Amino acid sequence: MSSGYKPDILWSPHHADRYVICDTELSLYRIGPAGSPETKAGALPLSEQTAATLLAINSDTPYMKCVAWYPKHEPECLLAVGQANGRVVLTSLGQSHNSKCKELVGKEFVPKHARQCNTLAWNPVDSNWLAAGLDKHRADFSVLIWDISSKFSPEAVPAEKVRLSGDVDSGLVVTKPLYELGQNDACLSLCWLPRDHQKLLLAGMHRNLAIFDLRNTSQKTFVNTKAIQGVTVDPHFQDRVASFFEGQVAIWDLRKFEKPVFTLTEQPKPLTKVAWCPTRMGLLATLTRDSNIIRLYDMQHTPMPFGDEVEPTIIERSVQPCSESIISSFAWHPSAQNRMVVVSPNRVMNDFTVFERISLAWSSTTALMWACGRHLYECTEDAGQGAAAAEKDIATKMRERAQSHYGHDTVQVWRNHVLAGGDDPQLRSLWYTLHFMKQYTENVEQKQQSNKQSLIYSGIKNIVKSSSGTTETRRCWSGSDRQTDVPRYHSEERSLALQLCGWISRGPDIDVEPFLKSLEQEGEWERAAAVALFNLDIRRAIQILNKGASAEKGDLNLNVVAMALSGYTDEKNSLWREMCSSLRLQLKKPYLCIMFAFLTSEPGTYDAVLYESRVAVRDRVAFACMFLNDAQLPRYIDKLTYEMKEAGNLEGILLTGLTKDGVDLMESYVDRTGDVQTASFCMLKGSPGEVLKDPRVQCWIENYRNLLDAWRFWHKRAEFDIHRSKLDPSSKPLPQVFVSCNFCGKSISYSCSAIPHQGRGFSQYGVSGSPTKSKVTSCPGCRKPLPRCALCLMNMGTPVSSCPGTGKADEKADLTRDKKLAQFNNWFTWCHNCRHGGHAGHMLSWFRDHSECPVSACTCKCMQLDTTGNLVPSDSV
Amino acid sequence: MGHMLSKFNVIGPLAASRLKKKKKKSREVHTFVFTSRVPLSRSVDDKNRMFVARSIAADHKDLIHDVSYDFHGRRMATCSSDQSIKVWDKGGNGEWTCTASWKTHSGSVWRVTWAHPEFGQVLASCSFDRTAIVWEEIVGESNDKQRGQSHWIKRTTLVDSRTSVTDVKFAPKHMGLMLTTCSADGVVRIYEAPDVMNLSQWSLQHEISSKLSCSCISWNPSSSRAHAPMIAVGSDDSNVTYGGKVQIYEYNEVTRKYAKAETLMTVADAVHDIAFAPNLGRSFHVLAIATKDVRIFKLVPLQKDSSSSAPTKFEVQVLAQFDSHNSQVWRVSWNITSTLLASSGDDGCVRLWKANYMDNWKCTGILKGDGSQVSGQPGALSGVLGSATAQSALNGATGR
Repeated sequence: MSSGYKPDILWSPHHADRYVICDTELSLYRIGPAGSPETKAGALPLSEQTAATLLAINSDTPYMKCVAWYPKHEPECLLAVGQANGRVVLTSLGQSHNSKCKELVGKEFVPKHARQCNTLAWNPVDSNWLAAGLDKHRADFSVLIWDISSKFSPEAVPAEKVRLSGDVDSGLVVTKPLYELGQNDACLSLCWLPRDHQKLLLAGMHRNLAIFDLRNTSQKTFVNTKAIQGVTVDPHFQDRVASFFEGQVAIWDLRKFEKPVFTLTEQPKPLTKVAWCPTRMGLLATLTRDSNIIRLYDMQHTPMPFGDEVEPTIIERSVQPCSESIISSFAWHPSAQNRMVVVSPNRVMNDFTVFERISLAWSSTTALMWACGRHLYECTEDAGQGAAAAEKDIATKMRERAQSHYGHDTVQVWRNHVLAGGDDPQLRSLWYTLHFMKQYTENVEQKQQSNKQSLIYSGIKNIVKSSSGTTETRRCWSGSDRQTDVPRYHSEERSLALQLCGWISRGPDIDVEPFLKSLEQEGEWERAAAVALFNLDIRRAIQILNKGASAEKGDLNLNVVAMALSGYTDEKNSLWREMCSSLRLQLKKPYLCIMFAFLTSEPGTYDAVLYESRVAVRDRVAFACMFLNDAQLPRYIDKLTYEMKEAGNLEGILLTGLTKDGVDLMESYVDRTGDVQTASFCMLKGSPGEVLKDPRVQCWIENYRNLLDAWRFWHKRAEFDIHRSKLDPSSKPLPQVFVSCNFCGKSISYSCSAIPHQGRGFSQYGVSGSPTKSKVTSCPGCRKPLPRCALCLMNMGTPVSSCPGTGKADEKADLTRDKKLAQFNNWFTWCHNCRHGGHAGHMLSWFRDHSECPVSACTCKCMQLDTTGNLVPSDSV
Repeated sequence: MGHMLSKFNVIGPLAASRLKKKKKKSREVHTFVFTSRVPLSRSVDDKNRMFVARSIAADHKDLIHDVSYDFHGRRMATCSSDQSIKVWDKGGNGEWTCTASWKTHSGSVWRVTWAHPEFGQVLASCSFDRTAIVWEEIVGESNDKQRGQSHWIKRTTLVDSRTSVTDVKFAPKHMGLMLTTCSADGVVRIYEAPDVMNLSQWSLQHEISSKLSCSCISWNPSSSRAHAPMIAVGSDDSNVTYGGKVQIYEYNEVTRKYAKAETLMTVADAVHDIAFAPNLGRSFHVLAIATKDVRIFKLVPLQKDSSSSAPTKFEVQVLAQFDSHNSQVWRVSWNITSTLLASSGDDGCVRLWKANYMDNWKCTGILKGDGSQVSGQPGALSGVLGSATAQSALNGATGR
């Protein structure tokens, strides 16, 4: 087992919390939870949870070569130690010696010729028997089986050998073994076979494994092999034995002992220990010399049934219990699942559990299930976690948004960003853009200008391109007579762009006052001031800043900014200009920054404003539309559009509109976020012809519908479909079911021709107000009566009398709901399988108490046929 | 179709540099948000710890090898070395109850998977016993339902494999009812049920020989017509001297055969699991691989001449590579929007990964296999679901 002075480790067979480390001495440790009062200050941490306390040290037995723990409960802590001279000594650790133990402790078993003792093994049944495997000594036996209860035999002990053992009472020396095996050979390893305690498996130097039966020691079964080290029996499969040679492990089946069942992949360094896991089927741990890795072989299937031989699947794993440090030895815990303690050459110990392969799966509703060993764990989404909305996963966000009817507000389109949670600036920008576009088209419609209408949804990029007849003006700074040297450009298209940016509401005059008011209301002081300034109204800008400073939670610094602003001079070389252009870079707020950038820039070179990425795109675009000339403007817009498209920034929809460019932009948004919900709703707003036909758009819509279905948001999906068919009539599905008359074969659903199709899988009957109501019990084609309801036996079409068992209190609670459902009670429904049916209300009440069809002698379990039908939509409340 | 894919080739240097700049800026915002949340998340944790991960009495007699949810997440199937499958239904109270448990194979059952519910309640399993089996739930003659038990019957046994069948997966529903198996001898088989009403008839449509022992397969779930049916195959061949342990096959409309479209040569270690991310209308594919680390690949289809019979070419990028499981990674699984990836590995932990807006993947949660919390992990649990880092970092940076 152990060689040299490298520490080895041994678990107590009976105390789950005790183990021994043996190197030059034996040290008994107790393992306990870390930080508990039991574990004292001197405890050695083994892992995050456990620590070990040293209980006792025994250094009575020098030259230790191997150790074996006595398998019985009493006496506890009795150990057999095999020494370098071949002697086997019984010793004990830290126990109050009871009589039986006292008798045994210190007993020595001495072979005839001194040589190294390689291995020791207690017989698992007859615990008095201790087998010792020794090196070769000429023709002597190499395996001695001692009876620890046997008395000494003084006459056989040569005097000089007694002296060797020092002060030990010579009365404790035993020299006559019970059995002697393995003549003319050495024994490297041995083990008792648990199936038959009289049998012993020996591994000899002569390259063989041999099974001896103690009842007849002359007979043996043996096999030639190199793998003669560390023989060990699988505790879960007692015919399976592992042994190794250098880097290779051989697995044997004792029933087919001729050759190894299989060998494991060879490791580059010689192995030092191989051990089966006592708590888990088919798990073998191996350790090679000077390694920090324990390699595990998970034999997934016991070699069993079907005729021919199939190698079991072996999954190789390696674990690194103590990161970089080399492992000297390890030992499985006898009872704790897959647990082991490893020890390093310098006695650093580590408590360690080998984990089972965990398999896992996400559910569609973001619950995570995993299986670890034989156990299942589910980790569910916790709605009440209160995580900031910004940190939620998009799946969670889409679910929440679907439930708040996100995307469905077609009147006040901008409100959709509020429905989305109101915390996403990109969505806010997107929905405002769509809102302004819609507002404009509505205005235009009144003016009957259809050519503009198509333009509006194609985005500012295209609007600007079509620009013609730009006029240039130089206006005065308001409140002063002096003309500015800032040229400002006007055209119909430019003012249209400004409208889309939300700066002006309508008409050709540029009046930003309403916009400033609304910004003030929202407390966006800096932005309002910047907009005022860009409209060349410094006084208004200063006024806004002052207001902002004095407002609740206002920033007093705004007054300072206002002060700086008031000193504006268009003198080129003024101190003001110099200071502002250098100090503005230190301003943290982007809008303040661009205000000074604007004031200190040369006319026509506004890069500091235009490329300030912290400023909203719509403001930068509006600014560009006012101050860039016809050559600069399209170039700037193109560049910005490209940037927005690459980044998938929804603010860019303002530029691209709902065109192919817009779909490109949305594509990179979807690529980045997976938010097909926004993509679907946004594209539905566009003109139906072009973008909706784009396969990408169709794909997003399909994916979004699929998500809603997976979440069982069927009502939401249906609402989405209705919403979609309003905007995209081509998406309307055809009626799915027709009912034909038994007699004439014509469709009996006149409701289909009279009013649009309603419901799926049902034909509606008894529509109130229908002129043919008196005759609905007959086929409209041939006037023959319709089939009868299986329960009330009335012809279909007859108004339903309320049936017993349905008038429960819960229905009274909501009268309007009751009325709606009463209509449904009239519907004709039938089982697809047995084709019996009747009024929906009657059928429902029948299947509340029954599982079989109400028609006599029909055993159809109509209601159980469809499992999906039993699922409740999760958005119905 | 070609025109929209082409744009991935032409990222101009200007735009690229600008993107980089933006990324940096928002990352600062992102880290700020994260650190400021630590104390808060801890306190939330302590309150919620108990019910975030809860144990379910599985009652399998041996190791559970696979868990699988149905389309709606209301049913679940587990399979085990005890040769049985269990089906679980989620009650109105959110509790799982086992509604069926039966012995299925004569060997360990490796995997179990659900068909889309539009094909009925159908399961497929595969086993060491070299078979794959299709199961269907039927309405029993007895009053099984009343006792809360459902009845599953064997519709077909697929016996073509000569070795252990290591994985079984249904194809995406838009392809019809198709089933794929892979086996240790390196053969991927694709079966089809021509009549979805008759699940006892399956015809072997394709046999793909991957030449390496197969351990796992994954269909590309994309339903876009721009993407041909595609399947990724992972191999657990442990010889690390050559790469290419993941192969991707694509269906070709012209030849009507599956042809190898891509081999991931950089994957040289044994692959234990593979998962295509739900596509959700994205223009590229994302593939997660469990090998000796967690690896996330991005496959960007390059422009293709639709009439040619050559398979699609891909630009393959490694988005992330994490070795925090120390050694082998066993499983990977995507959430429905492919924004969260869960992985399990030799460290006995389940780890959750999430990308921020620019494909920077980070660990956002660690749970021990036994459901207990990993100590010393800031926000280990609170970050688990529906939280932690988001694309809004970008939004925060760009202003309104």
